Amino acid sequence: MCELCMKHGAGGKWYLNAKHYSDEVVEKYGLYDFLLEQYKNFEQMSVRKVSGFSPVGMDYRMRMPIIGRIIKNMAGNMLNKQRFPKDPFKPESHIGQIVPMEDAIAIIEECAAEPIIEKNCMCRYMSRGEKEACCINFGVMSEVISQLPRFVPEKDKFHLTRKEAVERFKAHNRKGYIGTIWFGPFPYINNLCSCESPECAGIRPRVDFGIMSVHKAEYVIGLEKNRCDDCGACIIKCPFNAIEKDPYSRKIKIDLDKCFGCGVCRHVCPNDALFLLPRDIVPEVAGKY
Amino acid sequence: MKKKTIIKIDYSLCGDGVKENVDPRECCKCLRICKPAIFLLHQTLGAKEDNPLDPECWRVTPLWASLCTLCMECVKACPANAIQITQK
Repeated sequence: MCELCMKHGAGGKWYLNAKHYSDEVVEKYGLYDFLLEQYKNFEQMSVRKVSGFSPVGMDYRMRMPIIGRIIKNMAGNMLNKQRFPKDPFKPESHIGQIVPMEDAIAIIEECAAEPIIEKNCMCRYMSRGEKEACCINFGVMSEVISQLPRFVPEKDKFHLTRKEAVERFKAHNRKGYIGTIWFGPFPYINNLCSCESPECAGIRPRVDFGIMSVHKAEYVIGLEKNRCDDCGACIIKCPFNAIEKDPYSRKIKIDLDKCFGCGVCRHVCPNDALFLLPRDIVPEVAGKY
Repeated sequence: MKKKTIIKIDYSLCGDGVKENVDPRECCKCLRICKPAIFLLHQTLGAKEDNPLDPECWRVTPLWASLCTLCMECVKACPANAIQITQK
């Protein structure tokens, strides 16, 4: 992974570095104005032209052999840029990583800047027209969101205490929503999302088109074979189709290359046979984010 | 070569082209029924920040047409018959 993630933060995890959540960053880059501008027309971002190319109809071009690879690379580079973006209308420097429940709880309890809020998920609104409050936001986002009624959940209170936020996240994760943490924009972290595939606008480019829009988690799933009774509950739950039944032995098999390490499958296992392993100690997938 | 799926939405029947202010955000039937979620609800590009809540500023775009499974559920679901799916 990038230099930033390896160098900073506890245990080499960029999202456990409290500096990225601090109010100093907000002041330094004038983030209130930047984010208000961005979120006012957030839904436009997916259809606005980027360096002369319209994203509408781009999906067929991305399926072309050579041109597709160039476009994917360019899109990945734009999202992965490690500097503060000048233009609030571009999805620049907006990169995220999948986090399992334990890390998300650590983020909420240790790092997240007050006030913590929940807001209606934009991705779900854009792709389904539904308003579901499943994003947890930190710091300056509370002021930005209170200006934009369509993101405010239909409850009087959208501010959460740390404890409530943990409970909300746990509930989403048990439902099968994938936890993701996002720079919004670099170097400020303010989004802890719980979303599904294919609704999530961040996971979709990675899964369907192979653009590096989100990094895999620092973990992969492991299976304790003695405990597993091959019921197959995890196969249905896995949002990335990484778990399958071996056609010959009828045993559960995990495709580590496909596993994003979200840990959602653990919640449905009746025998607690699934557990998370740090990515680094599994040689097949070490360093492959 | 594989055929391309072309999804067309007639904006004179749905969204910002309609005079009586039919709000695409109220309907959203195509968005909800689509399994691969290829549609996108968004503000029109011309509409600047002035009033993001104006119903005339919103429309539905089929953004990821290549993922369409041709189930035609959206065509059936659309109350204004605004969606057309063809292959080329």
